[in-house]
Amino acid sequence: MNDPDFLAHAASYLPQLLQGALTTLWLSALAVVCGFFAGIFIYTMSVSQSRLLSTAARVHVSMFRGTPVLVQLLVFYYVPSALGLDLPGAVAAAIALSLNTAAYQSQILGVGFRSIPRGQIEAAVTFNLTRRQTLWYIEVPQVVRTTLPALVSEMIDVIKASAVVSVISVTDLMRVGQQLSSSTYRPLEAYSLAACFYLGITTLLSITGHVYSRYATRRG
Amino acid sequence: MMNNLITILPSYGAAVLVTLEVSVLAALLGIAGGFVINALRLRFTRSLALPYGFFVWLIRGTPYLSQLVVIYFGLPALGVTMSAVQATIVSLALYSSAYFAEIFRAAWNSVPHGQLEAAQVFGISRWARFRVIELPQAAAFALPLLANQVILVIKESSVASIITVPELTMTASGIVSATYTYIGPYALLIVAYWLLTQAVSLLAQQVSARIPFLRKTS
Amino acid sequence: MSALPIIQLRAVGKSYGANRVLKGIDLDVMRGEIVTLIGPSGSGKTTALRCMNFLEAYDEGEIWIKGQLLGYRSTGRTLRDRDSEATIAEIRRPVSMVFQQFNLWPHMSVLDNVATPLVLAKKVPKSEARRKALAALTRVGLEHKADVYPTRLSGGQQQRVGIARALAIEPEVMLLDEPTSALDPELVEEVLTVIRSLAQEGMTMVMVTHEMSFAAKISDKVVFMEAGRIVEAGPPAQLFGNTRTTRLQQFLKPWFDRSLSIAAPADGMTASTPQVEAAQA
Repeated sequence: MNDPDFLAHAASYLPQLLQGALTTLWLSALAVVCGFFAGIFIYTMSVSQSRLLSTAARVHVSMFRGTPVLVQLLVFYYVPSALGLDLPGAVAAAIALSLNTAAYQSQILGVGFRSIPRGQIEAAVTFNLTRRQTLWYIEVPQVVRTTLPALVSEMIDVIKASAVVSVISVTDLMRVGQQLSSSTYRPLEAYSLAACFYLGITTLLSITGHVYSRYATRRG
Repeated sequence: MMNNLITILPSYGAAVLVTLEVSVLAALLGIAGGFVINALRLRFTRSLALPYGFFVWLIRGTPYLSQLVVIYFGLPALGVTMSAVQATIVSLALYSSAYFAEIFRAAWNSVPHGQLEAAQVFGISRWARFRVIELPQAAAFALPLLANQVILVIKESSVASIITVPELTMTASGIVSATYTYIGPYALLIVAYWLLTQAVSLLAQQVSARIPFLRKTS
Repeated sequence: MSALPIIQLRAVGKSYGANRVLKGIDLDVMRGEIVTLIGPSGSGKTTALRCMNFLEAYDEGEIWIKGQLLGYRSTGRTLRDRDSEATIAEIRRPVSMVFQQFNLWPHMSVLDNVATPLVLAKKVPKSEARRKALAALTRVGLEHKADVYPTRLSGGQQQRVGIARALAIEPEVMLLDEPTSALDPELVEEVLTVIRSLAQEGMTMVMVTHEMSFAAKISDKVVFMEAGRIVEAGPPAQLFGNTRTTRLQQFLKPWFDRSLSIAAPADGMTASTPQVEAAQA
């Protein structure tokens, strides 16, 4: 077939592909950041004295890790509209992805929290730091440092999971790939190109993670 | 609403079977494939290290959805056509084989080299070393990871709804658009997947508890 | 001179489940006094100390800090009678602590470790907090390590940072939980020197320690505990020189056996190591 044709078409599609990649990136970044804070919240709930809170946390984690992301996406897109609230695709996607990664991050961060020696918390209590201050000034900085590799891994997973938002008409990288495929009638090349973009993003993130952890351990 | 739920149960039942058929086949092929790939890598380390690395990098660096659409929509251009179900099984098997290969790689590395050296020194044959020392420990290490990957396969199978495979997600979406009810079908969908994943988890726990050599010794 | 003790324990009890660790402790700590708790492991001395700043919640009796009941609203001792966190923080404000395992925060510099309680709990502005922190570090001889991270320091230096942190909040009483027990022997002296100089300046202290000769030299009152009770209490001259109970005699036997003089010298506190005294004996 005529490869130059496809390449020319693909080149003209480059702006859209980049736009789609950007959508994928900001959506994933938003989900990861919201998921980080939500994950901390879920973790503190899971170790709370309150039976209600700790059960709620476990249910959340079990539900979001035990069901597919696509299903979660569909639920957050269609169910609100049935209840009268029409959420735009991007909003539903952000909510679903955030809650999903929050479940995973709560487990990752939990490992970090449990590794902090109790004595450091006792010192914080002794010197009258509030629980919130102890969490954000003493615990979280250390937890992030120790769990960073796992967090980077989760970020990569979020980017890959985000591909399914194309089904609720968010113009992410995957959807632009679909558009390119329909306009060129060359699905193999179009979808492979989209896949290459994903590969580029995940590889860059992976390398950044490695470089950072190498740098961080050297500073001691 | 309960009435409606009961009427759609049969369709869900059929859909669960499709989900299971696709997932189990893909997982079995993936495990077999992953095992063979890892075995080959161990046997021909020097020549296969790079292709292996490339394969794993490619599969694990891209979303499953993109792999599925390349195989289903793209391969026909190369003369390979297959049904949606076939494409799903093939792509899911390929996708999971990379992850399974990595699991087996880690499992084999988890057996301390010293144990094998000791066995060698005592004149234990290569096959016996594998059967009695490596396999039990590697299996104990791998089992929870394998179970987890099977769960991931079941969850990824939902993506096949996009190419109209009549599995759970597609069926639920079909019912939703036909009846304009959202909560019931989706709630049932969530419960169905959750039960499936919990079942696999429990099964794995039971297996590792029952089979003696699969119990972790440390 | 105020006759009100800075810390008062009245019939204090504490249980962990079925295990009763403290069985009725009565103790007064006067301003300027140095009180040392000694005793075998499991005697409850560390638990008693940790109750004094409510790190552990006692469940019988009363603990008063400067005349205010610590930890509870009324005479009830259940969870429901507990004061709010804010009230507890307010009442234990004059009390500071030095830990056996130092408990420094590894992700902060030494200076930040010392300044953080000031900034976060006492709401002191950052610049002033750093100034005070630097002063405290100078007091323990570590101002040149202000920007270093704790993991780079020796055990003795880390503990001195812990003491600086406890000092920076300008406490009225310091609790010291076996401050040298986690240190290699050659690092113990530098920490004892700092503690001694604080005592000489009149800091009120309650200390749990196994350093008997040190305890003998700097204490005003020594309290011997065993199995959750106070067995004997009094000035060091009495406890070490004129032991009343056989149980204390048995406890102190290893120190007497090593021919160490642990009687308090009549001329006050002079720096001396056990080795020197053994040579002099």
